[in-house]
Amino acid sequence: MDKLLTFSDVELYYDNVHALKGVSLDMDEGETVALIGANGAGKSSVLRAITGLKRIRSGEIVYQGERIDAREPDEIVRMGIAMVPEGRRVFPYMSVKDNLLMGAFTRIDRTGITATLDMVLDRFPRLKERYSQAAGTMSGGEQQMLVIGRALMARPRLLLLDEPSLGLAPKLVQAIARSIVAINRDAKVSVLLVEQNSRMALRISQRAYALSTGRIALSGRSSEILNDERVRHLYLGGEL
Amino acid sequence: MAQVIANGVYLGAQYALIALGLTLIFALMNVLNFAHGQMYVLGGFITYTAYGQLGLPFIVALLASGVTLGVIGALIEKLLFRTVIRRSVREESTMLLAAAVAYFLDAVILLLFGEKQRGVPKIVNGVFVSDALIMPYDRLLIGALAVLFIGAFMLFMQFSKPGRAMRALAQDRVAAQLMGVRVDRYSMIGFALGAMLAGVVGGLLVAITGVNSGIGGPISIKAFLMVMIGGAGVVGGAIAGGFILGMIESVGLSVLHAYGDITYLVIFAALMVFLSIRPNGLMGKPWG
Ligand SMILES: Nc1ncnc2c1ncn2[C@@H]1O[C@H](COP(=O)(O)OP(=O)(O)OP(=O)(O)O)[C@@H](O)[C@H]1O
Ligand SMILES: [Mg+2]
Repeated sequence: MDKLLTFSDVELYYDNVHALKGVSLDMDEGETVALIGANGAGKSSVLRAITGLKRIRSGEIVYQGERIDAREPDEIVRMGIAMVPEGRRVFPYMSVKDNLLMGAFTRIDRTGITATLDMVLDRFPRLKERYSQAAGTMSGGEQQMLVIGRALMARPRLLLLDEPSLGLAPKLVQAIARSIVAINRDAKVSVLLVEQNSRMALRISQRAYALSTGRIALSGRSSEILNDERVRHLYLGGEL
Repeated sequence: MAQVIANGVYLGAQYALIALGLTLIFALMNVLNFAHGQMYVLGGFITYTAYGQLGLPFIVALLASGVTLGVIGALIEKLLFRTVIRRSVREESTMLLAAAVAYFLDAVILLLFGEKQRGVPKIVNGVFVSDALIMPYDRLLIGALAVLFIGAFMLFMQFSKPGRAMRALAQDRVAAQLMGVRVDRYSMIGFALGAMLAGVVGGLLVAITGVNSGIGGPISIKAFLMVMIGGAGVVGGAIAGGFILGMIESVGLSVLHAYGDITYLVIFAALMVFLSIRPNGLMGKPWG
């Protein structure tokens, strides 16, 4: 019962599309776990199921010993789970400041919010420079920092990241990867990292699951998966 | 000239308030509230009853209009729109519902308040006179109140937590949900606020032009005009649209007057040309 998060036999459908077919996985407190797989494998669906954006049809999702699969998204946030959605999704016409404040929407401790805001701005100094700028006018990399910062504003225990490297130049991917490592290490936030950039994800995670058309096809220590010839061929496209 | 501008600003401020409510509802829920004009009329009749009939202070009557419409708006959202949005797969369903609500409110208003034009005693007497400008004090006061309400609404949207949540919801529904914003709660708050604005303007204008049960439809049409001019779902657009329509009407009434009652004919023709050039209105983006 020490697990932070457990999926048991989770089935999820979009009308007739069977997106998750009996997915079971788990995470310990403090871990960074990678979830990799091809387009349409069901990675985002796993995250949507956790956050309550999408209801599962059967199975169980347990977080810190509690069933959460029937809860509303706002309850999930209050329980300490924050998600950075696919494609960034900043609030485009809001300032950086208001975007970050939205991240703390469920919190009421004013002084605590200010402290977290300072912490986030320290972690991403670029956001401080752009503080009053409309988020939609920032570069892709800056927007990615913003949405990660926004999620941190909720002071989560578990951070869900959906393809944070998507569409970013290699240098920026490196920077984002370093931030994720730092957040996991310094802020003691557990991270579930969804990535198509499997190489990056496997390098910065301790364990990994590979999804293939809605099923867990493979799981294990990231370092082992990274060095496994077969996997390399299957999931890393020989691009090492 | 100053006279025309002053009239335009006075009228524009009222219109902007109406358009703000309409655009707020649209931005949050993607609902075109055809019943907006009827909500305005209901607000007018409530102020008429409270101030004109019961003799309560005007400001109390105005408050009664706002609060009543707010409650009605909240109920309409919770009981009608929420249910329909949840079950329906087609967007037109909410339009039909809004039209039905408009007819329903029309009937209720007719039943409760009759078909007569109603006015109230002047809230202040006297007329401001200068070389260029003649303006009754009650118009000045009502205009000032409208500007005050516009300011208050904008400050609320910009700096309060619920205001920020509603902007977030309008800009990215899913992201807002992920921040912990409850869509149903804030749709209700937004609808209530929009209806409240309509009711308050109805209350304001009853002091000047009076109210009658038949003007709901035409007011709705004007509100849609303003929103189309400014661009749907944008605060700045609603305000711009309101003041532009107020100004055109004011100019039209003094300039085109000589040619008969063609102000609105000209406005509609101009709008068609304008929309063919700028289909999204002046500012086609949600909630800046
Ligand atoms: N809203 C939806 N309606 C219908 N089908 C959907 C919907 N969202 C996802 N799907 C389908 O469910 C399956 C899993 O989708 P999901 O978004 O979880 O994949 P993914 O692994 O995140 O893919 P990607 O790498 O492209 O983001 C896919 O077949 C997809 O087409
Ligand atoms: Mg995805």
